[in-house]
Amino acid sequence: MTVAEPTLDVLSVSNLKVAYGGNLAVNVDALTVKKGEIVGVVGANGAGKSSLVNGLAGWSRGHARVTGQIKVGDLTVDNLPTYERVRSGLLLVPEGKLVFSHLTVHDNLTTAFDPASNDGRRIYAREEVYDLFPRLKERRDHLGSQLSGGERQMLGIGRALMLGPRLLMLDEPSIGLAPMLVSQVLHTMRTLAQAGLSVLLIEQNVKAALEVVDRLVLLERGTIVMQGSASEMANNPRIAQAYLGAHA
Amino acid sequence: MLTQNRVLLPIIALLVYLGPETLGGGGSVYAAFVLIAIFAVMAYGLDMIVSDLGEVSLAHTVFFATGGYATSLLSTQLALNAWLTLACSVAVAMTLALLIGLITLRLREFVFSLVTYAVTVVAMTIAANWSFLGGSDGVRGIPTLDLSLLGMTLKAGNDRELWPYAFVALVITIYLIQRFRASRLGAAAIMVHLNPRLAIMSGIDPARVRLQVFVFSAAISSVAGWLYAYQRAYVSADLLDNYFLLLMLTAVVLVGKRQLLGPLAATALILVQEKFLSFGGYNDKIVLGGVLIMTLALFPRGLMTIPAAILAWRHRRRH
Amino acid sequence: MNLLQQIINGIVIGHAYALVAIGWTLLLGVARLVNFGHGQMYMLGAFVTWWAFAKAGVPYELAIPLAMVAGAMVGLFMQRVMLKATFEQNLVSIMIMTLGFGYVLHGLAALIFGSTGQILDSPWSAIEFEFGELWLTAQDLAIVVAAVMVFIGLNKLLNATRYGRLVRMVAEDPKLAELAGINVRRIYYGVFAFEGAAVAFAAGMVAPRTPILTSMGFDEVIMTFVVVVLGGIGSVRGSYVAGVGLGIFTSLFAALVAPAYTTAAAFVLLIAVLVLRPKGLGAGGGAH
Repeated sequence: MTVAEPTLDVLSVSNLKVAYGGNLAVNVDALTVKKGEIVGVVGANGAGKSSLVNGLAGWSRGHARVTGQIKVGDLTVDNLPTYERVRSGLLLVPEGKLVFSHLTVHDNLTTAFDPASNDGRRIYAREEVYDLFPRLKERRDHLGSQLSGGERQMLGIGRALMLGPRLLMLDEPSIGLAPMLVSQVLHTMRTLAQAGLSVLLIEQNVKAALEVVDRLVLLERGTIVMQGSASEMANNPRIAQAYLGAHA
Repeated sequence: MLTQNRVLLPIIALLVYLGPETLGGGGSVYAAFVLIAIFAVMAYGLDMIVSDLGEVSLAHTVFFATGGYATSLLSTQLALNAWLTLACSVAVAMTLALLIGLITLRLREFVFSLVTYAVTVVAMTIAANWSFLGGSDGVRGIPTLDLSLLGMTLKAGNDRELWPYAFVALVITIYLIQRFRASRLGAAAIMVHLNPRLAIMSGIDPARVRLQVFVFSAAISSVAGWLYAYQRAYVSADLLDNYFLLLMLTAVVLVGKRQLLGPLAATALILVQEKFLSFGGYNDKIVLGGVLIMTLALFPRGLMTIPAAILAWRHRRRH
Repeated sequence: MNLLQQIINGIVIGHAYALVAIGWTLLLGVARLVNFGHGQMYMLGAFVTWWAFAKAGVPYELAIPLAMVAGAMVGLFMQRVMLKATFEQNLVSIMIMTLGFGYVLHGLAALIFGSTGQILDSPWSAIEFEFGELWLTAQDLAIVVAAVMVFIGLNKLLNATRYGRLVRMVAEDPKLAELAGINVRRIYYGVFAFEGAAVAFAAGMVAPRTPILTSMGFDEVIMTFVVVVLGGIGSVRGSYVAGVGLGIFTSLFAALVAPAYTTAAAFVLLIAVLVLRPKGLGAGGGAH
């Protein structure tokens, strides 16, 4: 299409509160992600990063109470159960257990539904996932439990891609990964973003995140204390001091 | 809390004791009260396991029946007095519980429940077929309760005379449950239930705690069986009927977990419905099962959460 | 008494056990749901088949699917009532509720069908095949064939179809399955409906062998437990092997020792296995 489309926010969040029991873990007034943008969310342990994306997906391994408005494109999803949000294009690759250990790689790459292909979403077929991650193709008959950390990340991302995401949320993909693999995973994100995918990236590894994100958001105790473009934030003394530390 | 009030509890106890007289003192009223007391005691045994330890034992009907059968056989064939039959009932039940407990020691919870259920079904077959236990006819002609001791005549020839003994048994049971909950074993049971890893790190052996609670609970249910034998004057395989199991389970979950007077109140409600508002045998089954299902589906923590739920709902509506 | 005949009997009975257990093992493996009402659902399946065939004049071949529909509906209803507990994996509540359901089913069946024993005289039981001194009825043969087909079919469904993969995902980790876009609730409904239909199917096929009573739920469920625990929780293949093995065992036990105590014998066998191998004979975790 040659006519310029209005840039719609793929994700728009307002007044998001996530509480566990009586404890308010997330209190975000506003957060947006544009189409094709990679937004990084960084912060110390316990800052509420995981709670944020879990809350957006309507998902939790515990008992979370989530209130606020969440829109994917112009569809309101905050009143929908997790699987409906997934169907509308909001995908989360969680932290911790993210693949099915008792299923093979091939079986893990199964879609629960056939995503609608008419609203501009890029749906990856299994073969395309294998092209993107050749390692997975090599190990297609291996069980999820036999994969290394990096391969599991690839598998988690691969399955998400098959569901035609509009926004892909990744919760700390670099944990436990060797630096080279971290780089590989994050640069794959760049490639996907260039094809139109929007990414919300949770990362503890700020340095690695700064290399791929367009925008960075700093979360402290559940609230956004700072946000800006990658270059702005990289030069910000607060970020440099607190998180880049001696490795800057 | 209601049950920690030292003045209120004795008053309630007194009111309950005088209950039958107050309600006319007729034979059927006394029978109702006696049965409520007996089945409540039976239910309290299960209460320890389900509410405190958090496990579903489906074998407590067997312990109940053990009390009934031991009592009937020993009193009819060996003419043992009620104190001895009581001791033997408890001993046999505890031995059986120990056996089952040891076998199921390291099994997953639901396998434990399966095994206890299987024990009950197998016991049903054995009780109905084994001539030693009277086969399908059961054991008849059980003498009336005679706890005479040291020159005091303590006999009970009918429900009216049986009531004080049933009442005392009930009070002692409730007292034991309260003491258990306040004891170290009771605290250990809760920890094993809610946080087994923490329990182990605190030096508690979960297997041992489970075994102890299981055996103790079996003893309590067997006392109910002991008394029931004297009340009904005959026992048969029907003591192993699922009815008692459903009755116990409903009594334990209806009011709420770990409520001291919960099982008693629930047992009373159920038996009153049966005796005075019955819709017929099979319909009552459906009512009892239905009540159990509805309670757990709608109020998993028991009916006493209803007031709190209503308040929370009104609070949410206002905001 | 012909030993070989007893073994053949055992094989038939074993296939019957396996067929009765298949719904239960899948329900347990996928939804971690222990259905103590299973025996009564079996009884209901048998009685609906009997009533349709003997009282309503429906041909036997249609009476069974009718019972299966009734069974599936009972399963769906039970899951609807227990949905919250299933989601929260509140095992204690689930166990007690299914026990309650079994009790209610028993009461309902006694009300509707009466408490006298009935005989389901299927047309297939009358056809006999003889091989020298050994004999087999068409019903027996049908049970074996049906069981084998169901097991093969289920195995294929679970391992080679998309739906089967989704079911295995839910069996392993329902939370993660949600994130994969799976409507876990619907899977749970599906598995419970399968349990209802499968046990009714098994009942329709197996009930013609013995008189049926509305009180017969209890023995059936013990055999099912033994099959499932021996075969490994949630293992389809394991249930088949354990079922046939148990069938041969009980048949020989009934012939050589005492028919009245076969359930007790099966139970003792279960206990022996549990004591020697507390983790059961098969692998656990999920459906396979």
